[in-house]
Amino acid sequence: MADMVSIPHSQPQQHQFNPYTENGGTILAIAGADFSVIAGDTRQSEGYSIQTRYAPKVFRLTDKAVLAVNGFAADGNMFVKKVRQRLEWYRHAHAKDMPIRAIARLIQTMLYSRRFFPYYVYNILGGIEEDGTGAVYSFDPVGSYEREACRAAGAAQSLVQPFLDNQIYFKNQTPAPGTSFPGHLSLSTVLSLVIDSFTSATERHIEVGDGLEMYIVLAKNSPSIQSLRDIRGMSELTATEDGERVFVVRRDLKKD
Amino acid sequence: MNSFVDQFSTHSPTAQLKRAQKLIAAEEDDYSDAAWGSQAGFGGMIKGIPAFKVPAVADPTAFLRLHTDDHADPNCRIKIQHGTTTLAFRFKGGVIVAVDSRATAGSYVASGTVKKVIEINPYLLGTMAGGAADCQFWETYLGMHCRLHELRNRERISVSAASKYLSNLVYSYKGMGLSMGTMICGWDKTGPAVFYVDSDGTRLKGDLFSVGSGSTFAYGVLDQGYRWDLTDEEAQELGRRSIFAAGHRDAMSGNTCNLYHVKEEGWDFIGNYDISKMYYEGPGDVPGAPGGGYGYAIRTEGRSAANPPPS
Amino acid sequence: MSIAAQTDSCPRQPIVTGTSVLALKYKDGVMMAADNLASYGSLARFKDIQRLHPVGKYTVIGAGGDMSDFQYIQKFLEQLIIEEFTSQDGHDLGPAQIHEYLSQVMYSRRSKINPLWNSLLVGGFKDGKSFLSYVDLLGTTYSATTLATGFGAYLAQPILRKEVEGRENELTEEEAIRIMESCMKVLYYRDARSLDKYQLAVITADGVKISESRHLSTTWSFAEGIRGYGAQTQ
Repeated sequence: MADMVSIPHSQPQQHQFNPYTENGGTILAIAGADFSVIAGDTRQSEGYSIQTRYAPKVFRLTDKAVLAVNGFAADGNMFVKKVRQRLEWYRHAHAKDMPIRAIARLIQTMLYSRRFFPYYVYNILGGIEEDGTGAVYSFDPVGSYEREACRAAGAAQSLVQPFLDNQIYFKNQTPAPGTSFPGHLSLSTVLSLVIDSFTSATERHIEVGDGLEMYIVLAKNSPSIQSLRDIRGMSELTATEDGERVFVVRRDLKKD
Repeated sequence: MNSFVDQFSTHSPTAQLKRAQKLIAAEEDDYSDAAWGSQAGFGGMIKGIPAFKVPAVADPTAFLRLHTDDHADPNCRIKIQHGTTTLAFRFKGGVIVAVDSRATAGSYVASGTVKKVIEINPYLLGTMAGGAADCQFWETYLGMHCRLHELRNRERISVSAASKYLSNLVYSYKGMGLSMGTMICGWDKTGPAVFYVDSDGTRLKGDLFSVGSGSTFAYGVLDQGYRWDLTDEEAQELGRRSIFAAGHRDAMSGNTCNLYHVKEEGWDFIGNYDISKMYYEGPGDVPGAPGGGYGYAIRTEGRSAANPPPS
Repeated sequence: MSIAAQTDSCPRQPIVTGTSVLALKYKDGVMMAADNLASYGSLARFKDIQRLHPVGKYTVIGAGGDMSDFQYIQKFLEQLIIEEFTSQDGHDLGPAQIHEYLSQVMYSRRSKINPLWNSLLVGGFKDGKSFLSYVDLLGTTYSATTLATGFGAYLAQPILRKEVEGRENELTEEEAIRIMESCMKVLYYRDARSLDKYQLAVITADGVKISESRHLSTTWSFAEGIRGYGAQTQ
């Protein structure tokens, strides 16, 4: 009769609480001469379950900086919240937006302050530098960072990054005799590359799909605005006048 | 347990827990006025070591090991970039610092453009091996303290003092999971100087060091060609050639080589060299280069029936 | 080790637990469903537990996971509503605010490695808008037109999506009830920690209504015919 009732906590499964999970998805950013494109899919998943088809991973911080976060969604949202709070404090103290290279360093120190209990988040910061050039900064979860021309992170990083290396850096390509590779890619080329990256990642990676959000940051008076005229489903998010401009373009991705 | 020993020990689990709990009470959002001012992120740190949030578990170190990529388990989620070849050596013309630029996460090449030479200030360089963030963060932090030393003492900090500052700092975190193997290089009153500092707390003065998974390959070339009276050109070529050897033979190293030369007036960035290109074509038209590719197949082309000249 | 020390550093495990919660958006607002069972391991321990709880005038929360943690959540949300009421500032908390607050609590508890062991749905209707969101012990949040926690995420969510997605603005309350009932039935047939007694909550412009317990009528005669797995192999 002693074994009639099995008490759950007497079972030998003394497992440790795991404060992390992985929520899939992929993010990507490409810097141009006077613009920057930051994109991410909108699927959020855990294991084989799709939790939602629309959970943004890309966030406008200021008119010249956009942050994409990928990894553990709860950490990511909390991190974005804290970065925004610090940027607001900066705005109150200095009556201007923090420059992107300063935001990059801020993100490093914020990530590193959690060196012993990391945010499980891969960050990519894109935007316009003070000198008007397009910038992309990528971070590891504990804050090591670098300025690059392009970077993919997240579930389909290993599918997308080689494609970008080939198409942006022209890796493993040789120009035809008498020709050379273009020095800077145009905004319309970059947008096509981003869309192709995500449609392909959606085909081959189960955690990528549903929707695509592309943020476009343009330098002051950038002529690249021309190529945005005929982009379908674009809306402007710019808050201030006569400065950098931020746009978002949303596209559907396959939902299977 | 001996509670008296526990109370004053700095490395026992209970001590670490106590430290953790104290830090949690402070929390990371305990921002000082600095958050409002221009000091931004590093603001509070100048007053002392910054407060880190530590997980509220009995053994924070085991927690970190469980969740981060501590070379033992490549399957865990949070991957910290690893794998490197770095070298630095002292000679009559100063210090040569040469590094590769590859970062790997397991077998994935996470980046091929990493800057593994950290420019602490115009006359001090640090190298990066192990945790990229650990090196970047603490060497930036070291740079701030070097500047404070200048302001307080009206003279530049010695390489010895700077490296000791760093080694004492990382030693205070011993056992907490920091991972760095760095060379602090510079030129001070004593002449060119190189110090090796790692996260175990080791600090060594020496003429020649190489750190990282490709260090054995680099040492092979370096030891063979090293002399105190190398000319500047010869020394630069030796650094470049050594990183090439490591990039060629070590899977975790490669992509490109960054070369620096520290002289009396401060450091100079010499150049960035593609390792694959060096195999076939060499580093290009640079002083000290022999001309032609470093690759064995290239150098021996036409010398045997097995490796005939191109027809 | 003292009890205080244990709850301080070692995370507990759920003891008395509730299973799935389902929710969907429909024409007039949000509907939520959860059964009345609180299990003690595999024992069906309490069969009259309410897992749908109103918070303020516009919101219902539904909980799966540890029931004592859920009671604690009910307690502090009640306190929050009272504090908000006493300030008499003309603002009252809607579902979005309650969900945000709850998310922050859940995330900060996970960050202290002392989680509230629940998966929660927050549903509501305020200012002509429906609201439906999820939050769990890790602080993970998301929203969608249909949501399901626990086993419901695997068994009921596909049915909910098929029935509801794209028809959020045309589904009537009667249809919504029918969908919920069919999902609860599927769960009762396959989730061993579920019960055939459940409640429905509807949150509309008229406020919050939580139904009396409802009974699922099920048939088991087909079980006789099942061959080929379990103990019955012939």
